[in-house]
Amino acid sequence: MGDDLPRSLTRAAVVTAALAALGAALAAFVHASPALVGGLAALVAFATAFALAATARALHAPDDVREPRTVHATRALEPLPGDVTRRGVFDRFWLYAAGAFAVLGIVPFVALARNAAPSGTKWRAGARLVTPDGVALRADDLAVGGVETVFPEGHVSDYDSTTLLLRLPSDAVGGADRRDWMHDGNVAFSKICTHAGCPVALYRQASLELYCPCHQSVFDVVHAARPVSGPATRALPQLALDVDPEGYLIARGDFSGPIGPDSWGRTA
Amino acid sequence: MIVRRAARFFDDRFGTNAAVRYVATKVFPDHWSFYLGEFALYAFLMLVATGIWLTFVYDPSPAGAYRSVVELARATPVGYLMRQVHHWSAVVFVAAILLHMARIFFTGAFRKPREINWVVGLSMLVLASLTGFTGYSLPYDVLSGTGLRIADAVLLAVPFAGGWLENVFNGGQFPGPLLISHLYTFHVYFLPIAIAGLLAAHLGMMIYQKHTQFVDEPANVVGRRFWPDYFLRALAALALTAGVVLVLASTFEINPIDEIGPYLGWTVPNPATPDWYAAFLDGALRLGPAIELRLFGHPVPALFWPGIVMPTIVLGVLLAWPWIDAWFARDVEAHDVLVPASRAPWRTGFGCALIAAGTLLTLAAGDDQQSLALHVPIGALLVAYQILVPFGSLAVGVLAFVFARETAIRRRDRALEAERVVGLRRNAAGGFDAERPEIA
Ligand code: FES
Repeated sequence: MGDDLPRSLTRAAVVTAALAALGAALAAFVHASPALVGGLAALVAFATAFALAATARALHAPDDVREPRTVHATRALEPLPGDVTRRGVFDRFWLYAAGAFAVLGIVPFVALARNAAPSGTKWRAGARLVTPDGVALRADDLAVGGVETVFPEGHVSDYDSTTLLLRLPSDAVGGADRRDWMHDGNVAFSKICTHAGCPVALYRQASLELYCPCHQSVFDVVHAARPVSGPATRALPQLALDVDPEGYLIARGDFSGPIGPDSWGRTA
Repeated sequence: MIVRRAARFFDDRFGTNAAVRYVATKVFPDHWSFYLGEFALYAFLMLVATGIWLTFVYDPSPAGAYRSVVELARATPVGYLMRQVHHWSAVVFVAAILLHMARIFFTGAFRKPREINWVVGLSMLVLASLTGFTGYSLPYDVLSGTGLRIADAVLLAVPFAGGWLENVFNGGQFPGPLLISHLYTFHVYFLPIAIAGLLAAHLGMMIYQKHTQFVDEPANVVGRRFWPDYFLRALAALALTAGVVLVLASTFEINPIDEIGPYLGWTVPNPATPDWYAAFLDGALRLGPAIELRLFGHPVPALFWPGIVMPTIVLGVLLAWPWIDAWFARDVEAHDVLVPASRAPWRTGFGCALIAAGTLLTLAAGDDQQSLALHVPIGALLVAYQILVPFGSLAVGVLAFVFARETAIRRRDRALEAERVVGLRRNAAGGFDAERPEIA
């Protein structure tokens, strides 16, 4: 055949592979850049692939070898020795036994669930609002238009308590729902999206909307964070605010509802 | 020669020569598309090899996971490459499985007697995606942590068992103390071992039932012998897979977690999108209608429809497809010869509609970036996708159906035309030869 590659080419490929392998090992040993180590390793692979494919080609093995197929046709089942089925060896009784064993198998898995105390959030009446660094906030620490992630004091990074504090401009406060839950334009909502639980991290000040980067649910801050667009169906739970005698922002209690994504068990 | 000696050694002890002979003389039909499944197999081998190495440096604890992966990449070029090759192999693995399945689907290779192997193959696709997702989550960076948060919410939307599932998987509520250790167990033991078992069954059934082929000769398998011809080709395909993955791994950095930081719970990357093969689910969650129904006094979680119902229906239909297909075609026969896609227009139509739906949902997972790039409000894009996904896929399906049918009709006409007798001619023996039209 005329389209044969010269054998010397195959041999050259094998030599290349061997040299590249040595090179890759050396490069890895001296901590060369990953691109060099990886590139040499790739050269080993490609040269080997070439040599193997060229060798296979040079065999000139026929590509129309025939191998008869066996037909897996349905054949009637001949009576089994002793014909177990007729004597009722496999009675319905055995189904009950199998069921009993299945129960034994399932019980341990059901028991796996921990009786974790319903964790809930750590917000209690009087709890101060602190930043992730643990700094307590006063009513005018946040500039108008500002936004900050806050936790109840002593529980920084407690997941369920993750909260977003916003400072609304005064003209927005006038038309807002639950005006008495705010304090001096400060308003706080759960930061855990009610859709699938992402942090509702983006605040569009111009339209006074919170925006979830995961599936683009949009919540109307002025109207108790009810969903206005996207897949979320429930408002972000709100935290009623006040200030303590020292002027620090505090919660007046827990959120207005269950935080985070829905489950079938939720009764609200 | 080593092979001969080894064969003799084992034959003396186990009488293996018959089996060796059977495999060595097995005939492989020769077609490029038959390598797609092999590429998946070799990507799996690469995953196992690099994965075992990675278990020696990974720390499966919530506090140590992220740090161990970042340090791995910084310490040596080998560590960096191992992780890159592992992740890129996963990408090639899933991609090769999808292409292989498309070939199987559109040529009717799943038909009787190979229905079970279709089910086994589809199960491996599901397990491969789960392995990919759990592996992607192990570094516990801010992106994969966000993915875990969403997956946990989908788990919660499973009817009745949701709360229990979340509790078991997290060792409490999200993000529980045992989450990473459970992910690790699934990623390193359960899922790969299940894939390996199914893989053995997949290949075993293929050897026992023999390959399908394009050559229209039902009585025989027509192709190349395994030894030594096809064996060399298979090895070459293995080396080629390794080469491609290595080039990808050393050229394009995938998932650079040291740039985005660990998962804290209250921070989130923007944009937040998963690996491409899971993106269609993310897209479905974005498009899911914002309605809350009540069933038996319970509000149905919004994630239930796009996150549980949709994937279950798609998977169910695909699993049952060999039987649905046979019922459609009123076909109870066994088939070993493949048919071109045009010969089964409804199958081709359904397959194309499914691919279109998957592609559109995947695109929908990028709607926020598209909104920014195209200066279209996100709400408008959302509505556009909500209309486009059902009707666009339907349109693609119908078009594919019509196109396939027209192609089949044209092919048949051409075949008939070639057979048509336009005249008779006396031949030397005194009989008649039919004259056929000349076709260019
Ligand atoms: S998690 Fe917020 S929109 Fe889905």
